[in-house]
Amino acid sequence: MNDNLLLTTTVGSFGKPDYLTKARAQAARGKLGATELEELERKATAEWIRRQEDIGLDVLVDGEMYRGDMVAYFAERLEGFRLGGLVRSYGNRYYHKPVIAGKVSRPKAMTVSWFEYTQSLTSKPVKGMLTGPYTLLDWSYNEAYPTRRDAALALAEIVRDEARDLERAGAKYIQIDEPAIHARPEEIEIAIEAMGIVTAGLSAKTISHICYGDFAAIYPQVLDLPVDQLDLAMANYGYRWLDLFDRNPFTKELAIGIVDVHVHETESVEVAAEGIRKGLRYVSADKLWPHPDCGLKTRTIEESVEKCTAVVEATKVVRKELAKVPA
Amino acid sequence: MTIKTTVIGAYPKIGDGPDAQELRRALHRHDRGEIPDADLGKVFDEVTRATIGEIESAGVDVTNDGQIRWDDLLSPFAHAWSGVEPGPLERFYDNNTYFRQPVIDGRIVTDGRSLVRDYTFAAGVAKTKLKAAIPGPLTFATLAARDEQYGSLEERVLAIADATAREIAGLKAAGATMIDIEDPAVVALPQHIELAREAYGRFADPDLALTLVTYFFPADAVLESLASFPVAAIGIDVRSRDTTAFDRLDAFRTQSILLGVVDARNTRLETADEVARYTERALKLVPQERLTLAPTTSLEYLPRDVARAKLSALVEGARLVAGEKVPA
Repeated sequence: MNDNLLLTTTVGSFGKPDYLTKARAQAARGKLGATELEELERKATAEWIRRQEDIGLDVLVDGEMYRGDMVAYFAERLEGFRLGGLVRSYGNRYYHKPVIAGKVSRPKAMTVSWFEYTQSLTSKPVKGMLTGPYTLLDWSYNEAYPTRRDAALALAEIVRDEARDLERAGAKYIQIDEPAIHARPEEIEIAIEAMGIVTAGLSAKTISHICYGDFAAIYPQVLDLPVDQLDLAMANYGYRWLDLFDRNPFTKELAIGIVDVHVHETESVEVAAEGIRKGLRYVSADKLWPHPDCGLKTRTIEESVEKCTAVVEATKVVRKELAKVPA
Repeated sequence: MTIKTTVIGAYPKIGDGPDAQELRRALHRHDRGEIPDADLGKVFDEVTRATIGEIESAGVDVTNDGQIRWDDLLSPFAHAWSGVEPGPLERFYDNNTYFRQPVIDGRIVTDGRSLVRDYTFAAGVAKTKLKAAIPGPLTFATLAARDEQYGSLEERVLAIADATAREIAGLKAAGATMIDIEDPAVVALPQHIELAREAYGRFADPDLALTLVTYFFPADAVLESLASFPVAAIGIDVRSRDTTAFDRLDAFRTQSILLGVVDARNTRLETADEVARYTERALKLVPQERLTLAPTTSLEYLPRDVARAKLSALVEGARLVAGEKVPA
């Protein structure tokens, strides 16, 4: 049987162990040095690599132990950005929303050494993980560029440089997340144009994760997003986006979310397997990648392991079913 | 001449300094079971008191309570109304801010007193004119994740409008005379404007200053329709997107306009001059007594120090216009 059927993966982030959460808080208060913090981040990364291997996932991630937020991490490392004040995202959760205060530029690579370190820990492929230009724009305050398009295209050149550096470092998979892509459906062309700058000339497989919001509002236009694979939350939405594929066939690889990351209880293997079977009605097994709906950073380590285990076990069930079907 | 100013919606609940994060800490401790509900309630009240004071100290004419106890626009009602539960998290329109989608699992019933306690507290604190706020029925209905009770959008919107009518009556009995009805869906989904108008008929009250507050999206497609809604004022956001509304404000012949001139979703700070220019542009089409200046939407999309600075710019801009205009 083809080993590349239903490759399992995750969206990117995992929960941080308590010792790291504490260390990050200490570092933020200036009570822990950068070197000490990085040591703990590397330890937590290694632990997550081991867990992913134990669970049996096929394509791994570094778990983002060294990132707080998917936009602020980059904003802190780019010139032209200033870290803004605290803004609430939901409930009692706050983040420092970045401000684009001037022309943006990248003094040096931002994720490559983490990719190299993580890949050195495993023989399985590790994805390079970036935030897309449209989301970097939409989740920041733009004080500097006259239009949103201007800002998105400037950010695209930065993400492109980072993606090329990841590819040079050996990344076979580069994920460029655009969870904000449907924030303003009328701007989908800007997101597509910006992604075109990022992925032009890359030979790595390119992936973009999209979550929350009205996916229907950008379908089928989003099929023009120049990436090989779209990575979509489906379980949380009762798989309703699949109905869209009836009218306009899905033309890319699909990473399909089969467990909801926003509830504590883990789906049964059978429920998760049914999600894969639903996806197979629209996308063939060599192009369908089961995974959890979204990043797992809001779940505990135990919950994350359970959710990923459900994904892998469900995939085994469906792979067996596929093996029985005569070719 | 004076130009009145006000706020809309939620104010930032915490600031950046450690001394401005009491509510954040109290909520964490409450989550961990370290403090009882009553202690958390006291912190909510203190932060509400400080918020009203901060808004008033900026010189704003009409304040609100900053919605400090609200997780999102719908949460107080999703919790208080029977027949509704808070459901899955979803992005609130085009913001990187999230809300719980209401799930309707039964007939919606309210005693109309969901906001009375908070309004009464705020009224005891506010030194200036105080207004209340409630979500609009079209917004509430179209943001629901599921509805197991009502057979159509029409039925759902009108049921929510009836619940809204009870809340408005409850606020009126508690002394409220001004109530914002925050209803971005009216401009986000202009195809439902007639349904929205029917809903507003359920709670029209000539003795109350009700304001239909729209934001995020241009009101271009529904401007003339809004002029016939049974409300005293209409809130229009002229900053979030390109809009023709700014040049068509004379569509409103009797209603007041609450004009969103300070961008509550971008940290770039307007100067008083800039605010004055927007105001003078509006004054060509609307008489001063029917114009109130406001941020485009909730200032909670900004860090608190920026929110405070935005209010100052708003008030200074209004005063600049007032000072420059010489009676003919």
